[in-house]
Amino acid sequence: MEQELTPSESLKLIETMIGQAKSSFSRISFYFLMWGVLLLAAMVTAYLMRDAGNAWAHGAAWGVAGVLGGIISPIFGFRQGKKEQVSNPMDRVVGWIWGAFVITMLLMMFSFTGSGRNPGAAITLLTAMPTFLTGQIMRFKPLIFGGMLFWVAGLVMFFSGNDTVIVSAYCISMVFGYLVPGILLKRQEDGLRTA
Amino acid sequence: MAFAPLDPVLHNQLRLAIASLLVGLDGAEFNFLLEKTGATRGNLSAQISNLKDAGYVEVKKSFKDNYPNTRCSLTAKGLKAFETYVQAIKEYLGTVEG
Repeated sequence: MEQELTPSESLKLIETMIGQAKSSFSRISFYFLMWGVLLLAAMVTAYLMRDAGNAWAHGAAWGVAGVLGGIISPIFGFRQGKKEQVSNPMDRVVGWIWGAFVITMLLMMFSFTGSGRNPGAAITLLTAMPTFLTGQIMRFKPLIFGGMLFWVAGLVMFFSGNDTVIVSAYCISMVFGYLVPGILLKRQEDGLRTA
Repeated sequence: MAFAPLDPVLHNQLRLAIASLLVGLDGAEFNFLLEKTGATRGNLSAQISNLKDAGYVEVKKSFKDNYPNTRCSLTAKGLKAFETYVQAIKEYLGTVEG
């Protein structure tokens, strides 16, 4: 890389390099895969235990998933942070979006359960926002579609009174909103090997 | 029409590539720049030094997993120089193409 540059070559080089830097996001597929599996398992377990007549057992599945994910996520984030070769400001934006989501979700969970209402539909609707925004920031269509799917699933869950429909809507949105984009994102990350 | 002279520090393929990579990032490690530019270690190291001497790039050396680690970021002076360079290139191309 030593020869003299013409102005058009300079501009092309600048565009190429900026494009490469922009695509250098942290590896975040792990979070979608882990939370997708945990939340899917929690929903299926809670559904299967719905007739157990034990509210504690029903809530335990969500509790276990939340605690497990809440422990694993920061550990992975810390270890991943040490491996990162670049600091992309967009990573921070994505981090803030998900941080704000977690705070809002926890407040909603406490508010809804405290007033005797099921927070599932509202949280599913809320999940759409960070998923959609992450997809837009990363220009990754599977996450954009995933976010849209959470909106649809949230509405279905909100207006449907049928348990099977509610569980199906949630599971479908989790598979195509988190797991499938997570798998595709992991493939892309493995190909780019940027972090 | 007289054109503004292009900054000789940035008007070099590898140095311009380094600055272009860093302009969109908070910082990047040496190995990232090595991978993206495809340069040799020696050449990359020399051009980073040139950018550092010009005050365009800040270099921080540390240890990561017991190995030396070099992290680079664009300074405010470097960003200004980069913007000026891009503007000059665009003016030149606009005049030639227009």
